[in-house]
Amino acid sequence: MAQLETIDIPHLPLSLPVHVALYRNVENAELLKQELLAGNSEFEYALIDASMVLSRAHAITAIFRAVNDYMNDRLKSRNVHSEIVFSFSSTNNIADSFRKFGIADSTKDLLVVKVSVTPEITHDSVAAHLEASIKGTPVPFDDETLSQISDVAKIKKFYKLGALPDPKATGQANGTHADDAKRRLELSLLGAIALRGS
Amino acid sequence: MTDEYKPPALPSPFSNTSPAPVLLTQGAEAHVYKTVSLDPSIPAALKIRPSKPYRHPILDRRLTRQRIIQEARCMVKLVREGVSVPAVLSMDWEGQGGENGGWGGAWLLMEWIDGPVVRIVLEQWEAWMKKNSASLDQSQLEQEEERVRGLLRRVGHALGGLHKAGVVHGDLTTSNLMLRSPSTSSDPGPTGVSMEGEVVLIDFGLASQTAQDEDRAVDLYVLERAMGSTHPRSEPLFEALMQGYRESYKGATSALKRLADVRLRGRKRSMLG
Amino acid sequence: MIGIGMEGSANKVAIGIMLHPDDGSEAKVLANVRHTYNAPPGEGFLPKDTARHHRAWVVKLVKKALKEAKVTVDDVDCICFTQGPGMGAPLQSVAIAARMLSLLWGKKLVGVNHCVGHIEMGRLITGATNPVVLYVSGGNTQVIAYSSQRYRIFGETLDIAVGNCLDRFARTLHIPNDPAPGYNIEQLAKKSKRLVDLPYVVKGMDCSFSGILAAIDGLAASWGLGGPEQAKADAESDSNAEHTSEDPDGKPTRADLCFSLQETVYAMLVEITERAMAHVGSKEVLIVGGVGCNERLQEMMAIMARDRGGSIFATDERFCIDNGIMIAQAGMLSYKTGLTTPLKETACTQRFRTDSVWVKWRDD
Repeated sequence: MAQLETIDIPHLPLSLPVHVALYRNVENAELLKQELLAGNSEFEYALIDASMVLSRAHAITAIFRAVNDYMNDRLKSRNVHSEIVFSFSSTNNIADSFRKFGIADSTKDLLVVKVSVTPEITHDSVAAHLEASIKGTPVPFDDETLSQISDVAKIKKFYKLGALPDPKATGQANGTHADDAKRRLELSLLGAIALRGS
Repeated sequence: MTDEYKPPALPSPFSNTSPAPVLLTQGAEAHVYKTVSLDPSIPAALKIRPSKPYRHPILDRRLTRQRIIQEARCMVKLVREGVSVPAVLSMDWEGQGGENGGWGGAWLLMEWIDGPVVRIVLEQWEAWMKKNSASLDQSQLEQEEERVRGLLRRVGHALGGLHKAGVVHGDLTTSNLMLRSPSTSSDPGPTGVSMEGEVVLIDFGLASQTAQDEDRAVDLYVLERAMGSTHPRSEPLFEALMQGYRESYKGATSALKRLADVRLRGRKRSMLG
Repeated sequence: MIGIGMEGSANKVAIGIMLHPDDGSEAKVLANVRHTYNAPPGEGFLPKDTARHHRAWVVKLVKKALKEAKVTVDDVDCICFTQGPGMGAPLQSVAIAARMLSLLWGKKLVGVNHCVGHIEMGRLITGATNPVVLYVSGGNTQVIAYSSQRYRIFGETLDIAVGNCLDRFARTLHIPNDPAPGYNIEQLAKKSKRLVDLPYVVKGMDCSFSGILAAIDGLAASWGLGGPEQAKADAESDSNAEHTSEDPDGKPTRADLCFSLQETVYAMLVEITERAMAHVGSKEVLIVGGVGCNERLQEMMAIMARDRGGSIFATDERFCIDNGIMIAQAGMLSYKTGLTTPLKETACTQRFRTDSVWVKWRDD
């Protein structure tokens, strides 16, 4: 059974709930990607390579930016779901952002986001469709799980944050350094997302 | 004569926010609200730069957009460099509804810093000292001054970190310095005014990215003058701030050398055109 | 108590006679006379010529003032004069007259800071109790607020005064200096609504105008808008109101430049004033100095103050423009507290900072 979480992101209208699910060991990424590229509206999701997601706040920040741009008629891509993928990016290069953050044929860890842009899209309808469509293991959308999935080196490289201390670096016994480093990286990602296009 | 002040309506999407953001301060150019971040359990500060109807609309948009972007860029850079400033959580420089929905100003959602501003800390301390310093003996007086020196030295360190990162604040006053409340606090002494906590720089509304001694020196000079006018009693202790600054990074010495020039220029500035 | 105020720090020589009734009732202006030295279009007033003008007029004006006020020398308690800041030679010519009268009549002298004169006059006329003061003139640009017996400068220009910026641009355009260059810029600006991009330089509560002047002078030069011929064309087309049609090349008109200059520099002034208000927590603004006469500046300031839930006090041109009354007013406040200026300390100074005056008459 899919662990689909419906998030009321503060500041967004209640009429636009956001549904999020995280999967590991996904087996049918290639098919999902094909459906997406074919423009099959049933498969209109933000399908994100979860190894590029550092934390829950990272994902929600990108989602928030996309939905805010959607509400203000400022989408740079086809729809709010493609915009969510694009919104992870710190640059204006849409194609590049899809390559880096979007689902690939080889994707094993997948973050799925769906915004209820019409009243027909509900928690239950999304949950049912995902259960039928995604071959993978649903896992909780939380920082602990994401910390096992995220590829920090890859994330730092994309955001050009290589100089930042590495949260996963070992040798720091008391743990607070690692926490600080992760926090600093996370806040740097949020800033990069906010500043895109400025 | 003065009506009860009503702030302008919140721009989208904060008209949706429940509970509604609470207005904290109406600064010169921005309204700061307390609200929640994108996680409802974590507070956040929301800075709104409303449109300024007194100025020409084209100039207004240009300035508002330019400044909020510059502000956010500086803050994001400082976060990356590990300087203690509020992080940028989200922003929108195009204002409410963009082109079609009318210009409503720009906004910046940022990390909430819990704690007092240094201005209040010094004011409380000065007020207490004005009233009660006669009741302190010499060693207590020295101890009190030493506490303020300690605070100012930490402020100096924070400013050094800022300048080292290649940013100048542009509007340094004691209202733009906060003390992040520590999780545990010790006895604040006879005045009851705590001076503990990490110094956090806020309000980068006039900040810019520069590594020039002149800009750094002017930054310090602006603070020095603001201190003189708002905290006459603490001003003699300003040297401690300089000391903290000097200790904090390599380029400090040449910036301080420049400060001497800026001071001279400032005091002797001709009043003629 | 009756005081004479003598002012001559710039191109105006002015004598004012003021009565402070002994029963504490409202101060009364007994005389307020002035004569202005105007340079021809395209030129500024030079110290030497201005001083000559002041010397030629000061005695006549004192006589005229005494006559208008219907007072005799015996009625006068003190002679107040502008000690600075301002232009050296004109200041000195009036100070010499003040010393002479002091010796001749046996009256005490009170040296007055010109900026403090504006502030005290503004407070008297408007009834503003503790306002943030924007002092804007040809020689000064300061944002001032009172604290602990000083008028403290919160912000000021880092280079030239705003009035100087306007005056010099008026020279570029050969706009007449009569009645004031800024006034004529304001009239020309009313014919435009088109904003040309100019630098906007605010640093904290300080601002700078030299870059704006250079930029707009550059625009005027590159579009061939300066000089006497253009000014003549302006004067001739005066009747056909607003230049609405926009040039396809984007060429601005002289009116566009005046409009843009005003919009830009006044926005800067309002901004730094608002910063000072926010900083000291005041809701009152008082505008003093010659540039304070500008209606667009007053309008912008009023909108800002309204949006802060506050109010604006602007004095009218009789008092915004340099005058003798303001010197008498500030001098008499000082005189009442026992502060006078011994003869040997009456030397003028071109640089006399507002915050160096001990405001002994206020204790709030």
